[in-house]
Amino acid sequence: MPRLTYNIAMVSDFFFPQPGGVESHIYQLATKLVDRGHKVVVITHAYADRKGIRYLTNGIKVYHVPFAIIYRSATFPTVFSFFPVFRNIMIREQIDIVHGHASLSSLCHEALLHGRTMGLRTVFTDHSLFGFADAASILTNKLLKFILSDVDHVICVSHTSKENTVLRAALDPVMVSVIPNAVVSENFRPRKYPPEPPAPNNGFGNATPAVHHLGPNDPVVIVVISRLFYNKGTDLLTASIPRILENHPNTRFIIAGSGPKSIDLEQMIEQNVLQDKVEMLGSVRHEQVRDVMIRGHIYLHPSLTEAFGTVLVEAASCGLYVVCTAVGGIPEVLPGHMTVFAKPEEDDLVVATGKAISALRANKVRTEKFHDQVKAMYSWDNIAKRTERVYKGIMGDIPEADFYGYDVGNTAAWNGESHSGVRSFALIDRLKRYYGCGVWAGKLFCLCAVIDYLLFVFCEWVFPRDHIDIAADWPRKIYHSDDDD
Amino acid sequence: MLTAAPHLHVRRPSPTTAEFTVSTYPRNPTPALRLLLLAVGALRLVLALGAALLLYAEYWTQFFTLASYQQSNLWLLPAAQHEFLLYHTPLGRLAQEVAARTPSWALVPACVGAIYAAVRRIHVEERLLVLRGLGIQTRSTPGTILLGGPTRFIPTEKIRDVLINEAFWGFGVRYILVVVVEGEEGLVVVFPKLLPRREIVEEVWRGVRGCLFDEGGVGEHQQFHQQPEKKRRFKDTKRRSPTKDGKKSPASVKENSGEEVRDRS
Repeated sequence: MPRLTYNIAMVSDFFFPQPGGVESHIYQLATKLVDRGHKVVVITHAYADRKGIRYLTNGIKVYHVPFAIIYRSATFPTVFSFFPVFRNIMIREQIDIVHGHASLSSLCHEALLHGRTMGLRTVFTDHSLFGFADAASILTNKLLKFILSDVDHVICVSHTSKENTVLRAALDPVMVSVIPNAVVSENFRPRKYPPEPPAPNNGFGNATPAVHHLGPNDPVVIVVISRLFYNKGTDLLTASIPRILENHPNTRFIIAGSGPKSIDLEQMIEQNVLQDKVEMLGSVRHEQVRDVMIRGHIYLHPSLTEAFGTVLVEAASCGLYVVCTAVGGIPEVLPGHMTVFAKPEEDDLVVATGKAISALRANKVRTEKFHDQVKAMYSWDNIAKRTERVYKGIMGDIPEADFYGYDVGNTAAWNGESHSGVRSFALIDRLKRYYGCGVWAGKLFCLCAVIDYLLFVFCEWVFPRDHIDIAADWPRKIYHSDDDD
Repeated sequence: MLTAAPHLHVRRPSPTTAEFTVSTYPRNPTPALRLLLLAVGALRLVLALGAALLLYAEYWTQFFTLASYQQSNLWLLPAAQHEFLLYHTPLGRLAQEVAARTPSWALVPACVGAIYAAVRRIHVEERLLVLRGLGIQTRSTPGTILLGGPTRFIPTEKIRDVLINEAFWGFGVRYILVVVVEGEEGLVVVFPKLLPRREIVEEVWRGVRGCLFDEGGVGEHQQFHQQPEKKRRFKDTKRRSPTKDGKKSPASVKENSGEEVRDRS
């Protein structure tokens, strides 16, 4: 039987040329899915000089939709104005699955709504955590609930993020999968790592890189790379640096990143006269991150909230010992021997950093092994495989019991409602789901869904399906390796 | 009913010349359709003449009496013909009557509209003429039958490339055939009005490249439109021939992207 492949549309407001985590996630995932024989198109809005249709390496087609940008300033009209273009793209690319990214991207929300209206399977990946208290969060959560009440499957980057999303959008937890981010470990090699990667599958122990001990008088260098915002814990950092340096004088700090809190850091440096011990680099480009990281021994991450923390994986991959706050999804990211956890408070952070410095001084931590271990844990190939499994599950190509992992026939245990991931496209069923969103919101959402459906019927009439050209496929890759492991 | 979906007609008067015509004129009109088109043409002629007569009557009744007309030098027609037209034919009298009764703010726009409708082209036709060694010429029909079509000639040495691109057009995405011209900011879009479907665009693209750059592989689509006496003149190299299932070969897809963007984080 030939391998099942799908035509997938990744939709997000965030894509290259703008740099960022979500952007590179989409790109890497798309690349690996193409390697597995799928067809992937990316739909995003037009950037300044980036309009129209482009191809990236590996045959990923990117639609920079210029239409969406016209109404960017106003949010509500956008809900429907994107639909005709979106429908055209879906038909010409023969898309089966719409995969939206990032909960702050309105393009993604619209695409998921329209995709359901058009009878396509939809997946949503949430890359961030949100609170429940402030007004902005409440609004975002309502919007998310609207969109996610009719999505086929949700992917979160960590279990904490899953819990958060399930609560915010009132989802059935079986509909939510956890698939973390990954790193391209070749781009994050430690300083003395052999340039040729060792042959795969020879275990960790066989090709151990040379042990590099820290001499008694060598300074311990602590690296911090983060945008300097409140939620990244820059205040904690500002408070702890003088105390850490007081306890461990033979220590240096390298801080990379920029943001509104950088002024506080600079003040702290001035007040405590730490210019020779704390180096501030300003913002660095993503490809320079590795060069900054390999200058240090410890990576300090004082963030107050974090859905996943890809930077921790990158730091460990560069052979840095990681000190981080145990918040959000961070405790899930790395195994215990690579990290020292702290509570998100000043005292504990100082203590934890002290512990890490002592451990390094005692040469107890085998940081040179981290790279290979991280490489084995996080790879985009693996992410793509797991994402593909989600696609198969929602397309009904693997049995539901396999996909959801429990007896799906036993509906009584689930209040008799269908929790099956293969959700009905019937308008009345969709309306039922939307209606449950709230007293007023439910009715508003129903109205939106109905208008969207009418717009769809109108489009089918004005721009008939058979007048739309089918796009030429990039030659598909054939994926040989079998993926039953 | 009177027009058809855009379709392609290829003419190759000599081995180094090819003309690609995309037109909405029905390809094989039945006698009934021909008659209908003829009738519509006649109707349009009558409409145009009637509207012109009305306008003339309006012009006259607005500004002149018969006597003053004969004295004035603002004649559109000599006096004898004028008098005959408006006073001695039943149609002329009717036109005068109508012009006198209808307010001119309604009559003039209605007449202008009627004349525009009468001279507007029903069928759109766009041509691309390829001459090896010389260049290519695009030509498209204008909106009305009164003007000749705008033509544009691009000499070979100015042509950097001919390629198929995808572009957002209105509420969708279209395949367009474009010519990259040296020293110009924008691209020259071939068939800008009709924007034919992908099959036609691809066929024209293969034909143009074959004729202009003497590349092989005219393409198997062509056999549907070729005249019987037409023989394949280009050697069929594997490189350019389309793949079996009618999808585009990698080479042509690559061409499609225009410039390949290499984007990495």
